[in-house]
Amino acid sequence: MFASKSRRVFTIFVLTLIVAISSVGLSSAQEQVTIYGMVNDAFARIWLENLVPAFNEKYPNIEVVIDPVPYGELLPKQLLELTSGAPSYDFIVTDDPWLPQLAATGLLMDLKTDLADVTDPDYNWDDFAPGALAAGEWNGGQYSVPVRSNLLLMFYNRTLFEEAGLEEPGEGYSWDDLAADLPQLVRDTDGDGTDDVWGIATYFGRDPLTPTIWQAIFNSNGGQLFDAELNPTFNTPEGIEALQYHIDLAQYGPPGVSAYTFTDTLEAFRQGRVAVMFNWGSVYHGVAINPETTSLTAEQVGVAPLPGGSAVDSSSHRGIWTAAIPREAANPEAAWTFIQWMTSQEGEVFTSATVGQFPARISTLTGEAPQDWLVDVFAAINAGYDAIGQGDMWRPRLPDSDGVQQILALHHSRAMTGDVTPEQALADAEAEIIEFLTDKGYYD
Amino acid sequence: MTRLEALGGQTSKVTAPRRNLRRVFEPYVFILPTVIILITLLIYPLFYTLQASLSNFDTFTFSPATFAGFRHYERVLQDNNFWSSVRVTAAYLLAALPLQLALGVSIAFLISVQWPGSKIVRALFIIPMVVTPVVAGSMWKMLLDPLWGYVNYLLTLIGGKPVLWLADTNLALISVVIIDTWRWTPFIILIILAGIVSLDPEPVEAAKVDGANWLQRFVYVILPMLRPVILSAFLVRWLGAIKMFDIIYTATGGGPGNATEVINMYIYDTAFRSLSFERASAMSVLMVLAAFAFTFLFIRFSHWVER
Repeated sequence: MFASKSRRVFTIFVLTLIVAISSVGLSSAQEQVTIYGMVNDAFARIWLENLVPAFNEKYPNIEVVIDPVPYGELLPKQLLELTSGAPSYDFIVTDDPWLPQLAATGLLMDLKTDLADVTDPDYNWDDFAPGALAAGEWNGGQYSVPVRSNLLLMFYNRTLFEEAGLEEPGEGYSWDDLAADLPQLVRDTDGDGTDDVWGIATYFGRDPLTPTIWQAIFNSNGGQLFDAELNPTFNTPEGIEALQYHIDLAQYGPPGVSAYTFTDTLEAFRQGRVAVMFNWGSVYHGVAINPETTSLTAEQVGVAPLPGGSAVDSSSHRGIWTAAIPREAANPEAAWTFIQWMTSQEGEVFTSATVGQFPARISTLTGEAPQDWLVDVFAAINAGYDAIGQGDMWRPRLPDSDGVQQILALHHSRAMTGDVTPEQALADAEAEIIEFLTDKGYYD
Repeated sequence: MTRLEALGGQTSKVTAPRRNLRRVFEPYVFILPTVIILITLLIYPLFYTLQASLSNFDTFTFSPATFAGFRHYERVLQDNNFWSSVRVTAAYLLAALPLQLALGVSIAFLISVQWPGSKIVRALFIIPMVVTPVVAGSMWKMLLDPLWGYVNYLLTLIGGKPVLWLADTNLALISVVIIDTWRWTPFIILIILAGIVSLDPEPVEAAKVDGANWLQRFVYVILPMLRPVILSAFLVRWLGAIKMFDIIYTATGGGPGNATEVINMYIYDTAFRSLSFERASAMSVLMVLAAFAFTFLFIRFSHWVER
């Protein structure tokens, strides 16, 4: 009798324990929860329409609410969100250069350690391309994970290269090769005496992303913006030469190219008016596949990393959106479930095929591409990641990265418009950056 | 004995001070909600900006931290980019305001006369005003595009060459002034038109009887009578123009170089891109003081002219 009672108590205890353990470990999979995310409006709608429904097929108990925020307001809002003391969001999606600033607040979870207990055992961190995963690292912690990988790529119009009698860019294509090709790509195709197709379109106008082109040229020739002590190292003959090269490229662009940023560049290429475009890889679908947004076809559009310099065979620049979880988030486990699914190989294959966003996992990039058109793209991204890793091709990894980029953008633009020489522009930028970083307490 | 005392003096002696007290405080109770709203929405942000400009702003806690004195003001006054943005702002104001005022007064005079379709034309003038600045900036950016913009297309039709409206450092600010003028001249037109309609017709009729032609009537009779209206329109437009930001943000981003970087654009970049909120606050305070000083001068001038 006593033995039977004690067995019953023991059974109840074990059952209670099982339920308790399940509710801790699987709460995100079984309880009905709503998670809130702050996402750039450029892709928030696509996520809501495609990504969230696919996620909910597997995890119907997690409702995902996405709040679209314009790019210009995103960083201040994310900082306010973290420092408010009571975050309203369970995850935030942040741009590459902002992560150090957000992580430095100490208010983001270290995904590898803080959430280790609720991480899927099959979630393979080592499968991420190191250069891509580094976008979420800060001071040895992994505060975010790549959800929308992006990098600068070279898009080229095969038809225009062929019509100009040129070979299309292949492996080992260098900045010198590009300089030799560009004059021949500017042509008058209808014989009316004015040029109507041009060599190149890319960032030339005043924009924080314009210096990334100069940085790619500079990095591929062995240059770096800063040394280990954060002293600027770009005001050198190599830096000046790279800037002059970027300025000279504008000679081969359409009228007004010196003011081009993201959209103008895209338009010129999509309408078949320029032979080469340097832009973010994520535009590929809209440039080569979607007939509603482009006059070109996948057969016409070649894609590769940016040309190489004296230090590396090709170049690029990293621009990866990563997802992070605030330390005080209401539902960190559910948010992490969503992010894990999105960044798993299964999620990456889905997002590549449907949302047009690029993967960061080596297994996804080297595996079977989910769409035919992604074969060339994955190859270009893979090569781009290699270049990025070899040449440290990213914006400065410091909490005030945006401030530095802003100064570079201003002085780059002054050189581009001829207000000052490249030498003067870099000297001014160097002086201002030192002053800015001193003011921010970076130097003793 | 007063009538009140006769009716029961004891009570009235007690309530009189209370009634006086109530009379003193009652108005304040009624205006209290407005005062609270004003303090919350107007005065607190101003003081917060002042506090931020005198502090070292901690971006990790997103709040003013230690007291910094006037250090940020010194830095701002030594900042070449700040002075460059002040020069650009001054150039924009000196070009845009007189142009909009001259065009507004002239067009208002022309359409004040009734002719077939004049009401439709008046209605059309409202359109630019209701277009949001961001849309206006983007729309004009497309129209002025050197490659496929309609303006350059029209230029080439009459034998001209494509013009780099927004990419040329010498033309970019002029282009911004054109966009701003397109957007805000109708506002001046409407104010002046309302002024013309409400004018006493007798002096104009008398001038006509005296043999004054339409130009003389306009210059010597209508314009002097419209002076207070014109000055009011100028004041309102001035207060809007010193806040110029959105059209430039969408059309040029402050470039090329810093050719169109007005002070508000520079403050925005300093605050939200460089995250130097203390310097941006210092610039904002200086900007408010300058705007206040100029507005005060314009109001004094307007009173002097009216006298």
